[in-house]
Amino acid sequence: MNDVAKTAATTEDAARPPAAAPTSVAPTPAATARERSPDEPPTLRDLGLLKSLVPYLRPQWPMLVFSMCLVPISSLATLLQPYLVKHTLDSVLVQHSETAWASAMTWFTVALFVEFIVGFGETYAMQLAGQRSMADLRRDVFRHAQRMTIGYYDRTPIGRVLTRVTNDVDSLGEIFSSGAVMAVADIVTLLGVIGFMLALDYRLSLITFIALPPLGIAVEMIRRRAREAFRDIRARISELNSYLSEQVQGVQIVQAYGREAPSAAEYRTINDEHRQANYRSIRLDALLYSVVESVSMICVALVLWYASVRAGLVQSSAKQAAYIGTVVAFYQYIQRFFVPIRDLSTKYTVIQSGMAAAERVFGFLANQTVEPLDALDNSAPTAAVTPTTQHAEALRFSHVSFGYRPDDLVLKDVSWSARAGEHVAIVGATGAGKTTTISLLLRLYEHTAGEILVDGQNIRTLPRRKLRRLFSLVPQDVFLFAGTIAQNVAFSPTQVDETKVRHVLSRVGALDLVERRPGGIHARVEERGSNWSAGERQLVAFARALYRDAPFLVLDEATANIDSETEARLQAAVVELMRGRTAIVIAHRLSTIRQSDRILVFHRGQLAEQGTHEQLLQQGHLYAHLHRLQFGAE
Amino acid sequence: MTAAAPRTLGSYVRPHSARLWQGMGLLLITNALDKSIPWLLKDAVDALVSGALGRVAGSAALVGLLAAGMGVVRTVSRTTVFNVGRDVEFELRNDLLARLHQLGPSFFQRMPTGDTMSRAINDLAQVRVMVGFGLLNIVNSVFAYSLALALMLALSPELTLWAVAPLPLLVLVARLLGKQMFSRSQASQEALGALSSRVQEALAGVRLVRAFGAEAQQEALFEEANQNALQKNMGLVVLRGFTWPLMVGVASLGTLAVLFRGTAAVRNGTLTVGTLVAFLAYVESLKWPTMGLGYIMAVLQRGRASFNRVREILEAEPDISDSKCARSPRQAGALRVQGLNYAYAGRPVLQDVSFDLPAQSSLAIVGRTGSGKSTLAALLARILPTPAGSVFLDGDDVTQLKLRELRKTVGFAQQEAFLFSQTVAQNIGYALPETASEHARQRIRQAARAASVEDEIDELSDGWQTVVGERGVQLSGGQKQRVALARALLSEPRVLIMDDPLSAVDAKTEARILDSLEQAGKGRSFVLVTNRIAAAQRCEQILVLDAGKVVEQGDHATLLARGGLYASLSARQRLEEELGAL
Repeated sequence: MNDVAKTAATTEDAARPPAAAPTSVAPTPAATARERSPDEPPTLRDLGLLKSLVPYLRPQWPMLVFSMCLVPISSLATLLQPYLVKHTLDSVLVQHSETAWASAMTWFTVALFVEFIVGFGETYAMQLAGQRSMADLRRDVFRHAQRMTIGYYDRTPIGRVLTRVTNDVDSLGEIFSSGAVMAVADIVTLLGVIGFMLALDYRLSLITFIALPPLGIAVEMIRRRAREAFRDIRARISELNSYLSEQVQGVQIVQAYGREAPSAAEYRTINDEHRQANYRSIRLDALLYSVVESVSMICVALVLWYASVRAGLVQSSAKQAAYIGTVVAFYQYIQRFFVPIRDLSTKYTVIQSGMAAAERVFGFLANQTVEPLDALDNSAPTAAVTPTTQHAEALRFSHVSFGYRPDDLVLKDVSWSARAGEHVAIVGATGAGKTTTISLLLRLYEHTAGEILVDGQNIRTLPRRKLRRLFSLVPQDVFLFAGTIAQNVAFSPTQVDETKVRHVLSRVGALDLVERRPGGIHARVEERGSNWSAGERQLVAFARALYRDAPFLVLDEATANIDSETEARLQAAVVELMRGRTAIVIAHRLSTIRQSDRILVFHRGQLAEQGTHEQLLQQGHLYAHLHRLQFGAE
Repeated sequence: MTAAAPRTLGSYVRPHSARLWQGMGLLLITNALDKSIPWLLKDAVDALVSGALGRVAGSAALVGLLAAGMGVVRTVSRTTVFNVGRDVEFELRNDLLARLHQLGPSFFQRMPTGDTMSRAINDLAQVRVMVGFGLLNIVNSVFAYSLALALMLALSPELTLWAVAPLPLLVLVARLLGKQMFSRSQASQEALGALSSRVQEALAGVRLVRAFGAEAQQEALFEEANQNALQKNMGLVVLRGFTWPLMVGVASLGTLAVLFRGTAAVRNGTLTVGTLVAFLAYVESLKWPTMGLGYIMAVLQRGRASFNRVREILEAEPDISDSKCARSPRQAGALRVQGLNYAYAGRPVLQDVSFDLPAQSSLAIVGRTGSGKSTLAALLARILPTPAGSVFLDGDDVTQLKLRELRKTVGFAQQEAFLFSQTVAQNIGYALPETASEHARQRIRQAARAASVEDEIDELSDGWQTVVGERGVQLSGGQKQRVALARALLSEPRVLIMDDPLSAVDAKTEARILDSLEQAGKGRSFVLVTNRIAAAQRCEQILVLDAGKVVEQGDHATLLARGGLYASLSARQRLEEELGAL
């Protein structure tokens, strides 16, 4: 028995790798800013991240390849234009040829149209591929979230997981939707410009390229300092946001202590640091922009000057005229050359924040705090392994122990069993282990020692889904999702058997309540069921359990105060619910307790007493106390 | 800014108008320099044609010079205008917090933290982009267009007409697409919002989904929302993808027209090559401002919508504010409540509550969950909007007292112990101007001792300098409550209202704390909201609430003897104790 406990404990530990916990549990924006220093060359780490993206991009390969194939075409169409301008000018100034002029003009028009159409196709295909793969990624993140253990959700705020599925995938998608991904196309354009310039006049080209090394150095210097400013901004903004969020959450304290002014002053200080960092970034950004623009114009000046030098070397005026077209073409090429360089920093920013988001998303996907996939789960059809409820002993807990933390047992060596069709009530004070018992039965948590048998089968040997299919659960907090009543009863957005819905609603005595609403069983349910009363929500949950029609009923009665009319309905419904089923009920109503065949009294994680209502009352121990506490003293 | 004065964007931008004008002036110079370069190009090309090569080199030198000058002016102009955007953001941010500090529960129930934060982060960013980037680009476009058009007209009116011929088309396209862009981006935002609600729902119900094995259904629901978001987003993205090449195309039509007519004119000899080249350069230089037009439109629209969202916070009415003739409270510490009614969302929470708490006495408020105890406690301290003429402190209506001083006089310790992400010492010394001096440290230690948390703080990893709160060490529920209580005790209010501040503390510790409170709190009035009869019975008066009404009132012995709700609560707790002892 001790050994069993040990091995069970180790598997439990193995299910929660300690390494996964800190990275995936608390990646607040601030934490990620700290994790990822912008100083380090992003390449190596980002390559790893890009690799994780590959499976999502792969199914979109036709679109991606299509888009990539279009890149050189649209680049060519764009870059041909200055070349054709030169030809047009040459046809007038040098060749004096009408046909050459007409053909150059025609080609120019063609280039324009090709640029438009291919440019659109290229963007469309890339966006479609990008957005689709992001939707796939989102689906996988959601799926993964659905597989995380319940223990994970005990520790992790929902908001954090929500952020992974929504905002983080969005920022990653920004790389596509903002066109930053087209930075690849920019490289093609740059190479194309260089090619065309060299082809036109290599000497002029080399003169232009003289400006490049100093420009490169300047850009790199500015960018390095901009990156520092950017890191500062990120740190400050996350400081600002967490400060504000705390002030909003604790606003009553701030008000109660009259601390508005000092808090505002503190916030102002951080805010000002943020602004100063932004000033620096703006200055550098403006500098980068201006330097690039000015250098491009200086290149134009260089070209002009060198053209005059070259023209001086050739004597014939016809040849001199030939320089005009070239100069004009160069003027346009130079401008096309510098635009991508100028926009580089914007794209870099988008890519950086996308990569930071990717880190969080893939970190979450790598978090293995999940329920292991059972081998049989997906293979066998629904009804194949349904255990018979004919088995005389439907349920057995045998020396079961469990703790949410290893050193703090919530259930201690609990043993009990239930016959098929028996109605068992569980009672006990708060924290006695009632709800935990249900959770273990459904394998929402893994018990650490002992055995739980359902219809003679150890639940550890049953695939989770098969096991859970045997139970209809009605939890204490009724969970209704946005949709219709019918969808909520069927617990499915699509497969709704309306006749069955009506039937079960009438069996729990709620059909008239539902049909009073506009839309009847198709009446709207707002998020979290907020437009239905607590009693109505309870009844819908009961109907849901009946609709499910599983051999076991597990009911955690709500303690909420409900008006007496609804109370009567609920009492009747519970009877209906338990009929013909093995029922485990965490009971809070006297009527429910009395109707059960046997009562298990839990006390501090142990099964303290069991028997019928009368037997236990006579014994005059715990149950008698509890009974007086809950029902007697009022 | 107590009253919600309407805040327009103008009121934030106006104070910076001097710098904005300066930035605009510099922008004009930048554009003038920028637009003179094609003119020089014209001279150079014409000189090249005529073989006056010296003049070409001269023009080249001038272009280089202008370019260098332009670099300087452009840097300054961009810096100036963008900085104004950041300044507006800075002030908006400060004002937002100042306003949030004034707002009460009715606002925060309407606008959850997440929503407030999203407005303070995302919407504020959009506003800043509109003010800095949007303004710069609009003004820049205006300057670029007017200067280029003027120069082009000077060169050749006919060719100018050709060059601007596609413009009306462009404006039309921009307007059509702009409208579409707006509606599509809204649709996309909505789809994302719906997706987010779906995920939120699935995660909130994760236990039930798991128990029902309904993962597949949830995934189907999610996938529906996911595909919808994809579709809506593609709608937007396609439009954007379409806009860009279209703008490029239309803008290039100008180049085509100029090239077509211009070369013809050059052949006829009615136009010099240089002029044509300059023209082409001008048309080219207008390409970017033109193409950016659609983008700027989107920036402006988004910025406007965002500012309205931010304004909802800035103009929200505080529940509680100082009345005009507010007085300072007297310091005796007697509370009188008279016919207090309070309703929330149309539902009465408290009805006709009256009691008298003489100075230096104690009162316990007991009752079931939902009976209105906490609301009553909050109304006494004017944490909630106390109705006028129902709560009196030393004979003065609390709504007629200066809020800040009232809150100093009437301390309030909450059940939900919220601690800030600061050190324990700073949290306890929250009411102090500083926590570093020896005197302050003494007071903090004293308060912690009274709240029975001193020893535990000493044992923390960094002792009193341990950072707690959301981003610090997680204290247990009971520790948090006691730290929060110490914080309330430190300011030594004349009246201390405690809203069940010890619910997570075990009964023994509670008794110890109450003992020390009684000793330390001589001369102070207490109101204690509690579920524990053991704590309530220490008070001189006990008020029993049920469904918002006072059902019983008196001291412990009297109430027990009455055999009503109090007596039954008391019996119940005795049973619970017995049960616990088993």
